Amino acid sequence: MQGWAGNILDINLTSGHIETVPLDRDMARLFLGGRGLGARLLWDLVGPEVEPLSPENVLIFTTGPITASASQTSNRFNVSTKSPLTGTILHANSGGWWGMQFKRTGYDALIVRGKAASPVMIEITPAGVAIKDAAHLWGKGVFDTTAALEQNRNKRNVLCIGPAGENLVRIAAIMNDKERSLARGGAGAVMGSKNLKAIVVEGQEKNKPADPDQFKFLLYETGKLLKASPLTSQALPEFGTAVVMNVVNEIGALPTRNFQQSQFEGADKISGEEITDTILVKNQACWACPITCTRITQTKSGKEGEGPEFESAWAFGAQCGIDDLDAITEANYQCNDLGLDTISMGNTIGCAMELAERGLLANDLGFGRADRLPGLIHDTAFRQGIGDDLAEGSYRLASKHGAPELSMSVKKLELPAYDPRGMQGQGLVFATGNRGACHETGNMLGPEVLALPRLIDRFATQGKAGIVSVHQNSAAVIDSLVYCKFANMAVAEEFFARTLTAVTGEHFTADDLMMVGERVWTLERLYNLREGFSKEDDTLPARLLHEPVSAGPSEGFTVKLAPMLEEYYAFRGWDKNGVPKPEKLKELSLEFVMEVAHD
Amino acid sequence: MIDQRLYEEFRDIGRDIFVTGLTSSHGGNMSVRVGDKIIIKRRGAQFGRLKHSDFVVTNFQGKDSGIVRASTELIVHRAIYEKTSALAIVHAHPRTAIVLSLSRDEIIPIDNEGSYLLRKIPVVTVELASGSKEMAEKVSEALRGYKIIMQRGHGCFAIGQTLEEAYHWVSALEEVSDIILEHKLLGEEMIEYRKHSESYAKW
Repeated sequence: MQGWAGNILDINLTSGHIETVPLDRDMARLFLGGRGLGARLLWDLVGPEVEPLSPENVLIFTTGPITASASQTSNRFNVSTKSPLTGTILHANSGGWWGMQFKRTGYDALIVRGKAASPVMIEITPAGVAIKDAAHLWGKGVFDTTAALEQNRNKRNVLCIGPAGENLVRIAAIMNDKERSLARGGAGAVMGSKNLKAIVVEGQEKNKPADPDQFKFLLYETGKLLKASPLTSQALPEFGTAVVMNVVNEIGALPTRNFQQSQFEGADKISGEEITDTILVKNQACWACPITCTRITQTKSGKEGEGPEFESAWAFGAQCGIDDLDAITEANYQCNDLGLDTISMGNTIGCAMELAERGLLANDLGFGRADRLPGLIHDTAFRQGIGDDLAEGSYRLASKHGAPELSMSVKKLELPAYDPRGMQGQGLVFATGNRGACHETGNMLGPEVLALPRLIDRFATQGKAGIVSVHQNSAAVIDSLVYCKFANMAVAEEFFARTLTAVTGEHFTADDLMMVGERVWTLERLYNLREGFSKEDDTLPARLLHEPVSAGPSEGFTVKLAPMLEEYYAFRGWDKNGVPKPEKLKELSLEFVMEVAHD
Repeated sequence: MIDQRLYEEFRDIGRDIFVTGLTSSHGGNMSVRVGDKIIIKRRGAQFGRLKHSDFVVTNFQGKDSGIVRASTELIVHRAIYEKTSALAIVHAHPRTAIVLSLSRDEIIPIDNEGSYLLRKIPVVTVELASGSKEMAEKVSEALRGYKIIMQRGHGCFAIGQTLEEAYHWVSALEEVSDIILEHKLLGEEMIEYRKHSESYAKW
């Protein structure tokens, strides 16, 4: 293969039918792969009449044209489905080895439909594709399941769900290679609803570049850029993603105690520096990645595993008012084994803590209660006691107890580790996120904090919509290739375009890629409009719009969303209601959605 | 329409472009895209002395009366915004780069910093050299693959997410060009120190 394998594997678990269908090359050119191809396929397969946890929903696993090419960070893959947490389109991606290995089986995508009568797993190997009984694995944790299925990093890779997915927890993740995760939005519950425990892949095919000389040159040049960037060559390898904990805290943008404050007095104790000094055993890389940001850690009790990443350390740390790094790290391990999204889990626990402190939830929970984390996480995964409410995510939890405004979520997806009152652009990213509040779909940490590619005023609003839109489009195309966004913090889109050209033999410029990103973003928007979402959903929790930060460098600020949103719709060529205009749809070759947008 | 923060960015970068000799007193122009509008320097305004009244807000596409005061090159800026993901544009007249553009179809840096930042700067030829449709077409098309390009004998167009970023490419281009010119004047053979440097020509 050169770029695309040209095949989609289509499996119906209800009937047991297995089919290989050709990849539509025009579709591939327009949407590339990963998140873009997933969105395009989902548009046709899952309409507004489909309940997310019904057999009619589908799971679409996709790789991209550069996946498994050995270009730096070309290991990632994507899953697309309709989210049981938000009801929106959902895409989630993950690193590790599984994506590379799946591509080597000779498929660009795997569509899983229907529901098996009893627990099953899918095995894709050179011997063929098989649906196998997995009753003996049902109920097992991710770690035991991965071991039982003989995970071998370079030869055989396991993707599975834990008990949280089996129990249809709305914040359940799909895990791969033991501790990597397709975390957000509850894709694990969709997999559980299909009685699908695991997908095991063994591949042999190679993604060989069409222009090997140019590919070699680009490998060299990209390597130089990754080495030249202090973020990818020093900060991430040495301290992991939590390297930004103190940075974000210092500027007053680290949400604390369910976003009641924007600075955490214990930030230093849960920072990347502290992780390196106290619990780090070694760092580790995903396939074909020189950055090595993964943390292999060990707590005082002798438990060992991956993490915590910045977001996880924040979710169980500042969000819950906890500065006990061992407790946070073990909560992270536990989520990985049970198959839970750490951001949503920690955020939801923080929400429950505030509900309890305000007397709205009959429980002795309170901020700082590190001792309660293991029980709450366990009970969530198994839907026991209060865990049954936590399993619904923070919005449904807070609504049940009469205070939906205490859910720090957008479109019911829990916010990650940035207080947008101190990063106005990030507020616009969260409000307009197609899968809800998400930092992975246009993170403004780069321009608003880290000066990547340039430092812009984090409190300014004029002109922010354009920068947010460009970052959203860029993230969408990186998720479609599929690359790692950390690479993009050192390597510009023009390199990705040239690498894509060298791999596929088809010419792409940086602006061709940016147009793919805009096309993907707009299609996702149209998907959500078809589901009944509207301008009214492009908003933030009332706390962030109306309660000024009480102290610190962001004191006095709320998110000035309205002017940014108006500018955003105008920039994107959408009307005042946030609906893409016909001329924009035509420009993006999205005529097939015209009926939905303008009936 | 233009807020104080954005005005100050225009003013400071305009001043820097003039005092560093990247354009004459009134030459060149710059703009940013805000929503579906373009904020562009007024025609004839001095680069080094920009005032609040020196800016025109005009539509991203279509016709409006703002064009009577806008830079002559507005048509080029509009085309660039239409065809690329640029959020800011700087057009200047860097002298050494213009000199090199008179005899080259591309400027390939020989210094380390320039190679790292720019790799190659293509040169396009335009018969009607100012504010023409031909210029808008050729310049915007070239910028789909590069962040800065030269128009032969005229000047450069650079794009970025911010004015500062576009200005950086202009400043880097002139440094690259000065080094090429001075090395050529020195007349000594270059000792190649960059692996795969032959591939820069194909960038």
